[in-house]
Formats: sequence, structure tokens, C-alpha cells
Amino acid sequence: MPYSEEFKDHVANPRNVGNFDDANRFGEETNPACGDTLKLFLKVSEGMINRAGFLAYGCPATIACGSAITELITNQTIEDALAIDRQMISAKVGGLPSRKNHAAALAIETLHHALTRADLSIRLAVEAKQLSR
Amino acid sequence: MAGSRRVYLDHSATTPADPRVVEAMIPFFSEKFGNASSVHFFGQEARSVVEKARREVASLIGARPNEVVFLSGGTEANNLAIRGVAEDLQTHGRHIITSQIEHSSVRGVCDQLEARGWQITRLPVYENGIVRLEDVRSALRPDTVLITVMLANNEIGTIQPVREIGELVREIRSAGQRHLRFHTDAVQAIGRIGVDVETLGCDLLSISAHKLYAPKGIGALFVRRGVRVTPQNVGGHQERERRAGTEAVPGIVAFGEAARLARLELDERSAHVSKLRDEFEAGVRSRVNDIVFNGDMSKRLPHLSNISFRFIEGEGLLINLDMQGVAVSTGSACSSGSLEPSPVIRAIGRNDELARGSIRFSFGKDNSAEDVAHVLEVLPRAVENLRRLSPLFQQSVSDRAKSPEEIFVAS
Repeated sequence: MPYSEEFKDHVANPRNVGNFDDANRFGEETNPACGDTLKLFLKVSEGMINRAGFLAYGCPATIACGSAITELITNQTIEDALAIDRQMISAKVGGLPSRKNHAAALAIETLHHALTRADLSIRLAVEAKQLSR
Repeated sequence: MAGSRRVYLDHSATTPADPRVVEAMIPFFSEKFGNASSVHFFGQEARSVVEKARREVASLIGARPNEVVFLSGGTEANNLAIRGVAEDLQTHGRHIITSQIEHSSVRGVCDQLEARGWQITRLPVYENGIVRLEDVRSALRPDTVLITVMLANNEIGTIQPVREIGELVREIRSAGQRHLRFHTDAVQAIGRIGVDVETLGCDLLSISAHKLYAPKGIGALFVRRGVRVTPQNVGGHQERERRAGTEAVPGIVAFGEAARLARLELDERSAHVSKLRDEFEAGVRSRVNDIVFNGDMSKRLPHLSNISFRFIEGEGLLINLDMQGVAVSTGSACSSGSLEPSPVIRAIGRNDELARGSIRFSFGKDNSAEDVAHVLEVLPRAVENLRRLSPLFQQSVSDRAKSPEEIFVAS
């Protein structure tokens, strides 16, 4: 499957690159199989994600999914952000080849890492949700 | 937004068919459509052009016409050479010597034979990407029946000591090991450097036409007189029983014409592409920091440059360049669909990051100085674009306590 125009646009013109001054949440995950790394920086206040930024090293899918997730979560509640799934990220980049689905999974793991490690109640909620699946 | 200019720098993947080559082949689709095995006029018309093309291909490599076997391309040539020799000589021995940087078609046949009980020695290359003759010598065993080492590498362009291996093979054979054969995959070298089977001393040599400005789907295997290969395609008398199947007459005609043009224009083409390549490399060196050139800088094909860009991954760079109209290829794993980055770049001792960040630029006879200028304009921006979002780059910036502006040398 060739990459979509949206996908290539996220790679060539990534949105929300990098850290910023008032970021108060940080998440980082590495795919152990290929070494791809994603970092997310968030500004969270009163249950809302006001701003998001990312850094990525790895294949284009990792970059595109990192860029896409920052767009998906900006101005969302934490609850809505935690509900983002792989299909939503894939749709945001105009579709992912199936062998690249792991990049969407990495973006979600990184987001969960950023949102949950500073807030025990959210982490417990995520774990409860994972258990219920 | 991307401009309309398109610059093709992937001639090691394939070349466009030369208009003169296309013109030569066109009559052989509908007008002169005969089967070269037929006795009637139509068949003999086809037979005569197939044999003319065979003479041209033979002439390009200094062979006799009846030593040239037409087939579908480089992969089939490598399959016929390696499996054909291995099967023919299996009662004499089942040991094959090859290198760690062969094309996947050579690697694939060797792996398959290994699974069937043959023993394979895969010679290392060193940081320069070149096999050492003394390693070949020490790998030789009484049951070695085949050495297969490429003439030039497809990713980094390094030229292997094939002539020296050929001399060694002659020496070993005259010392009594009569059944030793020597094959070289010349797919990347042909049309870019002079190739002469007498000078090289090889028994078998693979060629693909589409690297030579002819269409895809046609190639040849040189099989030295007196050397036998067990046919891999059977059920027809074509190609002196070495490759059954109706001859692909239009493709063969095209191949012949492309071989003729390559012979006549070799020096001019090589000088042209090496000038462009050298200008390109000098330009990249002055515009982009943190790069590593891969492979020996002198013993390599004139048209090819392989560069690792630190902190970034090759396929992302490839997509960025593609959106600016520049076509290249990468050794990153993402492109090939595997998890492991290029075995060639790993074999020359580069780490995963450098292997993943490697890009091959391969020039062709129709590229121009304007093409080089365009690439030199878009490449630094594309690299910067990806480094800006790379945590590895950010880390290195803070390690060096420099600002990104200082890391990139302004052009």
C-alpha cells in the first residue's frame, strides 16, 4: 500500500514539533523491535490538554503518527484523549499500511505514559480499562 | 509546495529505456513477431536479430556469442549460475564461497542451497566495503566448487577484487582442483565500468538489461565455453538447452542495441556521471554536517554515492525528497519491510543509526548539472526538517551545548 498524501504531508510538514516552555507532562516510548522513539510534551490544566508537542526518531509512520496525535489531542479533555485508538490515528494520516500499525500503537502508549505517570487516578482508570478489555 | 522539477537519482534501481533502444525494439512486437525457433521466414527473421543482439552483448563483455544465454534478468542469471553450477558439480563438492554484501538474489540462492545441505562461507568486507583476496584464499577447501563475488556492490558501489580472484581461481585449478568455478554478478557494474570476461577470469557473469537503458524483463548470463550449468528452466531447446522458453525477441533486440550504445558511449557516460557525483558530494559535504560516506571512495562505481545522515531515518528523508521531486533509495529497514536495516551498511561496520540513515544517490547519463543544483538545494532542508524533530539530534545538540543554527552550516 502506498503512503497517502495526508501521511506524506505529516512527514514533510510535521505539526507541533518539539518541547515548549509551559509543558507540564512528558512521555517517551521506544519500540523495542525497531528502536523507533517518540516523545510527547503536553500542557495540561483542569482536565484539558491545552497544547501538545512531539519529537520522533524512526520510520515515517512513527513521525506521521506522532504529528497526528498532537493534533488529535489538542484542546481535548484527558478522558477523550485517552479514548483515542489506533483507527483514529490511522484515519488522521489517511490510512496506515497494516505493517505500520505499531506506529499508531506507539503514539498511544506514549500519550498514556505522558498522561498517567504524573496522575495516579488516571493511571488507575487506564489500567481498569485495559483489564476490562 | 514541491516544484514541478523531477530529478531521478535512482539509476542503480533501474534506468529509463533509451529512445534509440525503444525504436529498435518496436518492429518486433507486431510487424516482425516471429518465434525465433520457427523454420519459416517469420521465425528466421527473429532468429537473425536475436543472434545479432547476442553478438552485441558478447562484444560488450569480451565474450564469444555462444557464451551468452538470454534470460529474464539479473535475478534469474544469478539463480541459473549459482544453483546451476552447484547442482552440476555436487558430486565433486558442496562448498560455496560468497560475500556478505551480495545482492539479495545471490544471498537467496546461497541460503536455499545451505538449507539443502551445501556449505556456504560468507566472506566479510571491511570498512571500505571490499572483500580481501587473502580471505578468499583461506576460505578455499578441496570441496569448494564455486566462488560467487559481485563485481560491484549495488548499495555502496564498491568494486570487488574480481580480477585478482579470477587469477587465484586459475592458479587453484592448474594446481589440480579442476572443478572450481567462479561467478560474478556484474549487474551494477555493466555499462558503468569496462567489463571484460578475459581480464576478470570469471566463468559466469550476470547482466541485467534494465540497468543499461533497456527495458525490464531481459538479461543475460555469460557461461564460459566448457562450463556446464544444470538448467533451471527445462522443456525446450532454446539457448542451447541452458534456458528453455521462447526467446523474448523485442527485449533481446533492445538489450543488443543498449549493449552496442553502452560499448560506444561507456567512457563518455562514466566521465559524465562521475563529474556529477563528485560535484554532488562536494556540495553535500559543504552544506550538511554529521554525515558519513559509505564504502571506499576510490574503488567504486562512478555514478553512485551512499551517505548516512546521522540522527534521522532514511525513509523519512526519502519521502521528504520525493515530495521535492527527488527520487533516491535507502538502506533503512522500513523501505524493505524488514526490521533489520541494510546488511551491506551493517557489514561495513556502521551502527544501526547510520545504517537506518543511509541514502543511495545514483546518477545516470541523462542527469544534468541543474539536477545536482536542485538536489543540493532541497537536500539540506529535508535533512534539517527531520533533524528538527529527532530526539537523537536534540540530544546531540544539548551534548555539544550548541544551538541548532551552529550545527547546520548555512549554504
